[in-house]
Amino acid sequence: MTSALLAAANVSYRYPKQSAWALRGVDLTLARGQVLGLLGPNGSGKSTLINVLIGLRTPQDGAVRYLGDSPPVIAWVPQEHAFYPQLSCRENLRFFVSMLDVSAAEHATRVEQVERSCVLQEFSGKLARHCSGGVHRRLNIAIALLQQPDVLLLDEPTVGVDPQSRAFLLDQVRQLARRGAAVLYATHYMEEVSAVCNQILLLDHGKVLATGDLQMLLRGAEGTQPFDDLESLFMHHTRRSLRD
Amino acid sequence: MHKVKQTLHIAAKEWRLLLRNPHGLAVLFLMPAAFILVMSFALKNTLTAAVEIPTTGWVIEDSGPVAAQWVAEWTSRNGGTRLASRAQLQQALRTRQVLAGVIVQPDWMDGTGKPRADHVELWLSNRVQPAAASRLRAELSYSMLQVKMKIAAAAAGPFASILLGGSSGADLLPAAGAPKIRYLYEIESGRAMSAVQQSVPAWLIFGMFFVVIPIAGVLIQERNEGTLTRLATFGVAPGAVLAGKLLAFMALNWIQLFFMLLVGRWLVPLLGGDTLHLDLSAGWFLLMVLATSAAAVGLALLIAARTRTFDQAAALGGGVNVVLGALAGIMVPRTLMPPAMQTISEWSPMGWALDGMQAVFLGAPDAAQIVPKAALLLTFAIVCLLLSWRPIRYQERAD
Repeated sequence: MTSALLAAANVSYRYPKQSAWALRGVDLTLARGQVLGLLGPNGSGKSTLINVLIGLRTPQDGAVRYLGDSPPVIAWVPQEHAFYPQLSCRENLRFFVSMLDVSAAEHATRVEQVERSCVLQEFSGKLARHCSGGVHRRLNIAIALLQQPDVLLLDEPTVGVDPQSRAFLLDQVRQLARRGAAVLYATHYMEEVSAVCNQILLLDHGKVLATGDLQMLLRGAEGTQPFDDLESLFMHHTRRSLRD
Repeated sequence: MHKVKQTLHIAAKEWRLLLRNPHGLAVLFLMPAAFILVMSFALKNTLTAAVEIPTTGWVIEDSGPVAAQWVAEWTSRNGGTRLASRAQLQQALRTRQVLAGVIVQPDWMDGTGKPRADHVELWLSNRVQPAAASRLRAELSYSMLQVKMKIAAAAAGPFASILLGGSSGADLLPAAGAPKIRYLYEIESGRAMSAVQQSVPAWLIFGMFFVVIPIAGVLIQERNEGTLTRLATFGVAPGAVLAGKLLAFMALNWIQLFFMLLVGRWLVPLLGGDTLHLDLSAGWFLLMVLATSAAAVGLALLIAARTRTFDQAAALGGGVNVVLGALAGIMVPRTLMPPAMQTISEWSPMGWALDGMQAVFLGAPDAAQIVPKAALLLTFAIVCLLLSWRPIRYQERAD
């Protein structure tokens, strides 16, 4: 269950009409069962890296390669509530599943599955705009799960949710990884990374500052003091200056 | 005192927000300015005493020498074209070669040798200004009176001037009837013109173009919340997004059409107005609705794609539509516009739509009237869609 699905090699990206690079020489690999925590201050390039991995942006240097027999199914959970508030939860799911090239019977099965796994049955007929923040987050993830992804990219999925919903979302991530999906988890919450990620990639100013096994990184370099926690590691690499 | 301070701080904050909303400010200042300009030109001739006689075509069916002489004198004084037949006059009115036509019927002169006004027909283009038509009618009546006076003077001999003395010509020679006036659409459709027949196509077009409000609401929300990007990850191409919206909102336009037709057909007569006649040429009607709808949705998508917030889109879309409506002759009938403004009004999408729709609603349309307008509208729609595609395709937003 550790076969690589996707690899980014020396990826650099610059937005049109911008002089600064948003990503500079980023390398990463995502393999089945892996949960990679993507950490970085605001504006560090996390969302840009996710967009490049999805294929929405083409890097000016380097490349993203899909490994394996066929290209993996990649799903994205954005930070915003990327659904239609004027539609009910089920209408949203039905709409997004209808965008997939699968049979009508499969549509119904998938909607039912994700409603169950994301505990949305109770809210299925309710307009999304009348639902709570926790339901919004679950619906946001449920829409991505409709794709039955091999690779799931989550961009700060727990912003503004209560502890119960956060615990639920982290459980979902663990389950997905157990089922063989590769997960990239971008967040500012260190405790979430510590709870679910086995690998981290620390990004700042578009460059990778540290990457690898979380426990190894916490031990620090040879001859130095180990870090107390992930936050100490993060602050050590990114410094204390404010970014925005 | 605290409440007063709060109020002042809130007012200051509102001004700060207002100053950071250039689109809102543009609507407040530029739109009324544009209206002043457009309306000043559009209504120029309605408030002036000097009205020009419209270019006139003459058909002489009376074979007598007096009629020929009268027309020759008229055209040398006021200009105008002599045409061979009623059919030729009708074509000249359609192509706007002339704006009015005068037909001098057979037996224009009565048994006593006096011209009869009721043997003169006045045909008017759908575009002729009412004031210009009135002037033409008055000039014709006056000119015929002169003919009568000349004949009476000739009959009275050398003392005619003494006999005519202080009396007015009208007292001596009361007018025998008045010219019959018929508008081109009346000639073509065989029915009298009504306000509802003009209003329904005009305001239908205006309403169709206001589809910008719901389109912008959804598209901007989709773009700002990342739903468009999410759709891309589901393998949905920008072309499919645009096509889906085009289809949905064109369907909405058809519902608008149905509703407006119901209003014209049932509601207006119920309230005492004229009934909308729906014996229209179905094929040309459908083509015009399709082309108008495509143009309306295309423009709405372009505005929605090129603005960042719903407020911007609503302000810009509303403003653009109102100005286009004024230019096209929807708010001010084209008949009230001077010729130069009428020409300008022909070069706006709503103007093309109005031309084609009015041809359908008001007369007997043919390919020469409809196809060029429909082609212009469809081309406009395609250009708008192409310009909308790029902002939907590239959501350039740094994290």
